[in-house]
Amino acid sequence: MIKIEKSNFGTFIQNLSADYSLFAPVGEGQQSAFREVKNAEQINTHIQITQNSPKTVFLPQTEVLFEFSGDDIQSEEKPAKPMFFWGVRSCDAKSLNLLDKVMGQSKQRPDDPAFQDPYWKARFDDAIILTLACNEPASTCFCNWTGGSPFSKDAGDLWAVETETAYLVEPLSEKGEAFVKGLSGYDTASEKDKQSIAKLKKQAESYLQPAVDAETLKEKLPQTWEDPLWDEVSAKCVNCSACAFICPTCYCFDIQDEGKKDKGKRIRTWDCCMFPIFTKEASGHNPRSLARERVRQRVMHKFRYFWEIYGESLCTGCGRCVRVCPVNLDIREVAKQLLEADSAA
Amino acid sequence: MVKALREEVKRLFEEKKVDLVIGWGKGSLPMTATPIFINKAEDAERLIWDETCSNNLAVYLTKDKRQLVKTDQKIGIVVKGCDGRSLVLYAVENQIQRENLVIIGVPCAGVIDKKKVLKHIEGKEVLSASFEADRMTVEGRGFKTEIAKCDVLSDSCLNCNHPNAPVFDVFIGEPRKSDSVEDVYPDVEAFEKLDSEARWKTMVEAYSKCIRCYACRNVCPSCYCTECFVDQNDPQWIGKSPEITDTLIFHLGRNLHVAGRCVECGACERACPADIDLLKLNRKISKEILERFNFTAGLDINEKPALASFCENEKQDFIMG
Amino acid sequence: MKNTYIPIPMKVDKIVTEDPEKTLRTYDLNFVNKSDLEKFQYLPGQFCEMSLLGMGESPFGIASSPTEEGFLRFTINRTGLVTNEIHNLREGDAVGIRGPLGNWYPVEDFKGENVVIVGGGFAFTTLRSLLVYLLAHRDDYGEITMIYGARNPDLFIYKNELEAWLKRTDMKLHLTIDNAVDGWQHHVGFVPAVTEELAPSAEKAWVVVCGPPIMIKYTLPVIEKLKFPDERIITSLERRMKCGIGKCGRCNIGSQYVCIDGPVFSLAQLKTIPDAL
Repeated sequence: MIKIEKSNFGTFIQNLSADYSLFAPVGEGQQSAFREVKNAEQINTHIQITQNSPKTVFLPQTEVLFEFSGDDIQSEEKPAKPMFFWGVRSCDAKSLNLLDKVMGQSKQRPDDPAFQDPYWKARFDDAIILTLACNEPASTCFCNWTGGSPFSKDAGDLWAVETETAYLVEPLSEKGEAFVKGLSGYDTASEKDKQSIAKLKKQAESYLQPAVDAETLKEKLPQTWEDPLWDEVSAKCVNCSACAFICPTCYCFDIQDEGKKDKGKRIRTWDCCMFPIFTKEASGHNPRSLARERVRQRVMHKFRYFWEIYGESLCTGCGRCVRVCPVNLDIREVAKQLLEADSAA
Repeated sequence: MVKALREEVKRLFEEKKVDLVIGWGKGSLPMTATPIFINKAEDAERLIWDETCSNNLAVYLTKDKRQLVKTDQKIGIVVKGCDGRSLVLYAVENQIQRENLVIIGVPCAGVIDKKKVLKHIEGKEVLSASFEADRMTVEGRGFKTEIAKCDVLSDSCLNCNHPNAPVFDVFIGEPRKSDSVEDVYPDVEAFEKLDSEARWKTMVEAYSKCIRCYACRNVCPSCYCTECFVDQNDPQWIGKSPEITDTLIFHLGRNLHVAGRCVECGACERACPADIDLLKLNRKISKEILERFNFTAGLDINEKPALASFCENEKQDFIMG
Repeated sequence: MKNTYIPIPMKVDKIVTEDPEKTLRTYDLNFVNKSDLEKFQYLPGQFCEMSLLGMGESPFGIASSPTEEGFLRFTINRTGLVTNEIHNLREGDAVGIRGPLGNWYPVEDFKGENVVIVGGGFAFTTLRSLLVYLLAHRDDYGEITMIYGARNPDLFIYKNELEAWLKRTDMKLHLTIDNAVDGWQHHVGFVPAVTEELAPSAEKAWVVVCGPPIMIKYTLPVIEKLKFPDERIITSLERRMKCGIGKCGRCNIGSQYVCIDGPVFSLAQLKTIPDAL
């Protein structure tokens, strides 16, 4: 584990930005997001968690799949430089791994590149993610529900802890190993540093609320399918997509053509299962026409369906949806209500 | 006040005057109330009424939410001034059956805008909040701050002359005396002073932040089309991506569709996850309509909307330029 | 590596209008590049996203059989924007396809067994692919029975082929229309009723059912009554799809993505998915 003194942070960042497209938390409150930075002054180092997750860089809200002119088709998948992400919280680092299972890989056709998303892969495969331990989880955080923790080392290529005077960094993956090997002139973390990590970790964990077990919820969910509780929990939902668009693991998208027949572009743009039109078919038939069905779909997908395919939940407990929902439809409350429901098996 | 509200709702259930009551309950976060739907007398205890009750509940009587309301069901709805104005709008536009509604008015001294509080404390996390007549106290890890309420009231409440529902069946406590603000729209002055180029720039800047989540539209009581033009796909009127031209068409289209119908409740602005100043343009339009037609939306159940009626003595200078 | 979102260039070789109302048209497409033709390996039941640059994409089941080499066939009902535009295509025009996508009818499992095919309306496309495939490998399969219904005689697709299949002795084709018309010499009645009346045996047999949702809804109980086990009742689901490769989430039902886990499912599978039917 190496030690980057805060007094050297500026130089460290400067050097990084020469070799990588460097992304880090920028901006305050609702404007905060991961954006490309050139120097340390641009980085918001005190933010608990950005409003917009790193998803917005790897799977942008809108991106051009290709441009066409006549029959000629041009596409650009690869970023100019590999990306380095500084300061990703463990929940978000895990989200990227979950998204990679869907976008970068294919459970159903694991060996066929035609079923891997080329744009995602071009960005994600070469990117280095530095997971920054969460010294002060927010009251809306619930990473402990789905197997996470503020100091989790489960995801990312590098792991770092911010102490009073320094960032302590260690590798988590091969990419991370190679990165650390390439660094020179940094001290190794001392015993005292390691003690302060332990102390910070204990304090961070004490801020979290008791966890609800996501696996119990997963087992329970099929029984709730017809439960009138879904009417109750979906009643206040206004079917916007604030929760989904702000979610670090929601990945649904639409593909559309813009321009004219002889010249234009095919784009993809985020879409959302909360919108009635998402599943509406050309015939007018809509398999999920009711708010109850759509809210149920979102909860089921996060806490059941994804688990059935990949063995874990598609929620990392970042709490963003809890904060942005305009009607305070709190996913944690929904989960608790479902667990308590006396649904017939 | 809250006690009186709960007693009243309980009585309405006991006297079988309502089957369902839409009101506000305690939310899961500090400074946050949440819409609740209660269908029995004992649940009246869950109702609250305070400066956190910022959602406009009228929205639950239209749109997709019509499914909540069964035919012939008697609905009680707790309303502050602006929610009540939305109900007047609905009555004028034939969206509700007035006789099936029991309107429960509550006096409103303004609701707070959480985003303003967070800006005030520079993004720190609020773990608890308490309210007094003219100030609030917020606490978090390592801080405790007092804030004057007027600094964090929703923009929509700052110059409001309509603290009570214009039409109601029961009123909890005394209707609040209006402040009789003379200049209702001081907040749009700065925008008005800009030339058209600068106005355009301001709008483009503001709306470029939009993520097209439609939270503003979906919480807006005046936006109740069963299928919004932005959602239609055959033909598709506008692009789905947050490309600025498409985003502007959405927002400006919405501004025009709610012109003369907006009750300026500010729900759009408070709902926006991208922190866009959404209310300003609506208020500018409302101001124009007030000046030209002496009309304010949602006040008189017998008055036709300004843009849906014609009087010979109306100002017509815009026709001749 | 080739970008999977970029369509394979094709040319319209032949267009057949299937019905007098001109809402159903069949398109034979040729590969522009020989290398694409060689790489395109598929089985009956799979589908493609057909792409018209500037208009968008729509998914269609492949109506040709891999045993018919050199072209791909699609039959397209004019319903929306993209299908309207496809109907404006002329022979020689350029289109794109992405595919083959999705899974296929379990033709390997069918080997040595009897196959019953029940279809309705223009969802007959991939059933044609299946039938042509089975007939091309005739010796691998037992009895082949097909029941095909349409509202009226005009609405059958592939009419010339139907004539030929009716004459064949190594298969049995039953056609049915909703209401009797002059000169009609086949069955009259809805597909479920005709299926019940013909009562194909479930012994050593598989059944494939494809058609409008309402037909499937009423046919499945009939088939269950004939004692076909759920694992041997095969159907193909239709959902809105966009990417076709299991990413965009639109066709998600339960833990399944219709575009990649399907569109072909057994009734046994569907019974484990909430609201699939």
